[in-house]
Amino acid sequence: MQVLLIEPDRVQARLICEALHRQGHVVAHAVTAQSAIQMADAQTPNVVILELQLPRHNGVEFLYEFRSYPEWLKIPLIIHSFVPPQELAQATTAYQQLGVAKVLHKPETDLITLCGAVAGVVAPR
Amino acid sequence: MQHSGERVCLGDQEQLFLSLAEQLTRPLLQIAQLAELGAADDLETTRVHWTMAQLISRSSLQLVENYALSLRLQGKVMPLSLEPISLSSLLYDTAEVLQPLAQQYNVSLELDPGSRMQPVLADRTVLQAAMTSLGQVFILGQAEYDEPSVVRLCAHRSRYGVVAGLYGTALQLGRDDLRRAQGFRGRTREPLQRFVSGPAAGVFVADSLLSTLATRLHVARYHSLTGLATTLQPSRQLQLV
Repeated sequence: MQVLLIEPDRVQARLICEALHRQGHVVAHAVTAQSAIQMADAQTPNVVILELQLPRHNGVEFLYEFRSYPEWLKIPLIIHSFVPPQELAQATTAYQQLGVAKVLHKPETDLITLCGAVAGVVAPR
Repeated sequence: MQHSGERVCLGDQEQLFLSLAEQLTRPLLQIAQLAELGAADDLETTRVHWTMAQLISRSSLQLVENYALSLRLQGKVMPLSLEPISLSSLLYDTAEVLQPLAQQYNVSLELDPGSRMQPVLADRTVLQAAMTSLGQVFILGQAEYDEPSVVRLCAHRSRYGVVAGLYGTALQLGRDDLRRAQGFRGRTREPLQRFVSGPAAGVFVADSLLSTLATRLHVARYHSLTGLATTLQPSRQLQLV
């Protein structure tokens, strides 16, 4: 499974990549929204993991741009962020419309849960 | 999505503390994740140490996150989401979160959610964060005693509402302890005498979180035990159901 991880914290990205590698996934890591779009263009991912707090363009901007391309509309996307879920709760409908499959609050999510979420959203239906 | 522009209701000191708390969550999370990876593939002997490191960093992360949550609520950066909630399910979830820590410190955790308890009006996340912070205090506090100890998470009715609290068999926190913990609010700055180390901050965090729900911690008795609890109002919305 090809995973696109958009994570500005390089230490955390290494740890998440390692955990996903162990589950047999191939991970491409992007630090910014712009490089994430370029990476998705070069190799279409099966699933995207997104931190909303990004340098320059934030994760929400990425989300809107990513979903504006018809070929990426159906790619499952997981928000894995430090933004507290209570703040995201106000935008639940918008996130659903943007095809966000799961929202995980980083401080409460261990790596095994994140890997489980990846496996869950890309499981054949 | 930083909140710095929105922290209009927080004083300079609280803004600094919130920034510090938010910054501290990152290395704590990294340590927890690193320990999780280590625990997954290392030798049996070192796996125990990795698991312990994971647990300790997760508990600290929870405390820091809960403190940041209380500041965000006080600063109105984040709205409260009040709804009727089942106290028994909340206590059950809290016990589940606390269980690994209790196990690590050899404290047995008991749950008594009461029977046929009415739903209460509260913000589930906030109330659970408060009970978790308080639970950590009791577990760490009990662990400083030699005798085998028990921490009880209980709910019961009183004439003022529904009381949810924590009670310990070895460490029984009383009025003075609570007053000192509340003194962390920039007044007395006295340390909690009954604690060797610093778990008292959890009482302060729990009390701060509860104050955003218009309630506070108080000393409570449950059977022969003394502990700290909060009284919540039953939700009238579901009383006819």
